[in-house]
Amino acid sequence: MNTPLLHASSLVLRYGSTTALAGVDLVIQEGESVAIMGASGSGKTSLLHCLSGILRPDGGFVRFAGPTGTVDLSTLSDGERSRLRREAFGFVFQQGLLVPELTAVENAALPLLLSGYPRADAEARAAAWLAALGLRGLEARRIGELSGGQAQRVAIARAQVGGATLIFADEPTGALDSATSVDVMDALLRSTTGQGHTLVVVTHDEKVAARCSRIVRLTDGQVVSDSAGAASSRSTVPAPGAFAGPAAASTTTTAIAHVPTTDGPAFGGAGWESGR
Amino acid sequence: MSTMAPPAPTPTSASSRPTGRAPIARLAWMLARPGAASPATVALPIVAFAVTTALLLIVLGGVLMFWQRTDENAPAFQMLSLLAIALLIVPLATLGGAAARLSARRRDDRLATLRLLGATTGTVTLVTVVESTALAFLGAIAGVVLYLVSMPLVGLIPFGGGPIGPTAIWTGPLAILGVVVGVALLAAVSSVVGLRAVVVSPLGVRLKQRAPHTSWVRLLVGAIIVAVAYATLSSLGVITDVAILVGALVGAFAASVAVLGLVGPFALSIFAKVRLRRAKTAEQLISARGILESPKAAWRLVGGVAMTSFVAVVAGTGTALLESFSAHSTSEALFIADIRTGVLITLVASFVMVACSVGVGQAAAVLDRRDLYVSLDRVGMPVSTMDTARVRSVMLPLLFVAIGSALLGALLVFPLAGLTLIMAPLSLLVIAICFVLGLALVRLSLLATRPILTNVLAHPERSLG
Repeated sequence: MNTPLLHASSLVLRYGSTTALAGVDLVIQEGESVAIMGASGSGKTSLLHCLSGILRPDGGFVRFAGPTGTVDLSTLSDGERSRLRREAFGFVFQQGLLVPELTAVENAALPLLLSGYPRADAEARAAAWLAALGLRGLEARRIGELSGGQAQRVAIARAQVGGATLIFADEPTGALDSATSVDVMDALLRSTTGQGHTLVVVTHDEKVAARCSRIVRLTDGQVVSDSAGAASSRSTVPAPGAFAGPAAASTTTTAIAHVPTTDGPAFGGAGWESGR
Repeated sequence: MSTMAPPAPTPTSASSRPTGRAPIARLAWMLARPGAASPATVALPIVAFAVTTALLLIVLGGVLMFWQRTDENAPAFQMLSLLAIALLIVPLATLGGAAARLSARRRDDRLATLRLLGATTGTVTLVTVVESTALAFLGAIAGVVLYLVSMPLVGLIPFGGGPIGPTAIWTGPLAILGVVVGVALLAAVSSVVGLRAVVVSPLGVRLKQRAPHTSWVRLLVGAIIVAVAYATLSSLGVITDVAILVGALVGAFAASVAVLGLVGPFALSIFAKVRLRRAKTAEQLISARGILESPKAAWRLVGGVAMTSFVAVVAGTGTALLESFSAHSTSEALFIADIRTGVLITLVASFVMVACSVGVGQAAAVLDRRDLYVSLDRVGMPVSTMDTARVRSVMLPLLFVAIGSALLGALLVFPLAGLTLIMAPLSLLVIAICFVLGLALVRLSLLATRPILTNVLAHPERSLG
């Protein structure tokens, strides 16, 4: 069997006297879409934060098979984990949490700017992502001028513009109505697993979870079930490569320094360490 | 069975019967008491009102000091003190406004909730007014203490050949009472004004839909005011009555400040647009967009420095030159030196007020954007980037305004400035030092708000959960 993309073992996390995670083991393979479910306080967000290096667990380890080899997240410094999150992972939060004074395209380009890309290239790449996610023509809108669903698509673009192949989403549809939720979930799945990338999503919405290939349920900080989702048959998820959007625009971005455009179906492959 | 039943209403107990009236005082206390809100929510407005009150009293004390003088130069100094007030009124009002807005805005969310729960407009308004006024009153009392403590320090300023002394700026108890009541009233009024948005739309208070635009109309109105002011000033020769003369001068000054208020935001927005086009890094981009988001707000913050910078250069250069000419007449030299001291004090005072407004405003801004900063941290944005963006969005307009107005002033008195550079280089150096000091002070107040940012990032559970 291949080295798993993400391997968490006996994760323990405490907040004072409360135990948020009580020995969680989880192995996530590349290309999976994993829904983490559970009631409020079951530890699902804590698990996401440990898996993504936002929090350092009190016990256990998380190993990430990055482009340059496997790293143990808990041995990295704050700065290194910050860089890992910026360059290898993508994040989508419940309420977009975009910078309100920036335009859609500037928000999406932000991770690239932080990694030192020239602004014009960064915005061109971001614009290609926005177009692929159905936001063509809205690039210059400020976040306040977008609907909730549109803002969430900008967040999806921001999460992946840097070439991240592992996306973490925390209740990505939590603030949206059901019709918009379906659209946003479509966009999220198409742009991640649709091109062979990996998605880890925390949700309390059964409909969202049902569209993932795997559902992990937590109770009191422990995994109580780990089952295949309805989407594991790939009936509702587009096949890898079906998401051709940003790749179609790659002709305009081939000149970008440091970005291997041959690696992955779209922009993927800009590793967090090879990025500079 | 009985344990499962909901507690039965007890009609016999008069105290628990709903009266149909909302207990305003209790609601206000529930929302304001420590623990209900983060300490900063309550502490920040108090600090802001305290600083406003203290500065207001110091300025007032300084002006009263001149009006109590009886020597031959007294009328001249009295007029100059009025000009100083005209210069400082804008930054002082900004600071007061920031404090008032702060106390009103910090409770928007919870008041919106209160409204959604069915509180009437009257209840919401009353709760806010009671709360803001109470916070302002507490702050004003603290401000009086701050003023008393600072009196000996201010007393070190040299005037008329020696330090003015620790009691020189004592305003008397009546003025202090007036200022405290005034500050509390200001808070009450602005909380009513600031609340309209909450009352009108309980759900929409936080949404900023469109970036405001600054228009050319401002330039036109500005030009008209300049023309009127110039006409007034040029007819001053005919006026013989001193009172009217002073009135016209102060009026012309106020008009210039008003013109700056109209033209300033426009100039700032052009400056920010240039910056935006040239932005290469994330922090440059965010800071330029931040200024463009509201050039008016940026101007409100730093505009106070514009007029004082201009005056400091013009008057500072003029007095330095005069002083070097009248070296042998000591009383005349002293008079001129005093004027220059006054000019520089006014300049520094305006910087102090800007620094206070910046500190209060930035502390509030960081807390308001708590969720955003935490999420940016999670996405992997370094703290230094967030901090730099924040600092730049304040320092860039400030530098632009201070240096721009100073250069404009120097240009106006260009031959004089050149001559002074040769005749009295030391006094020009003093002016330059005052500028550097003022800028450093604002930068320092930004530095002081950095721990709030790092604290927000260190305790993310308070925001995103």
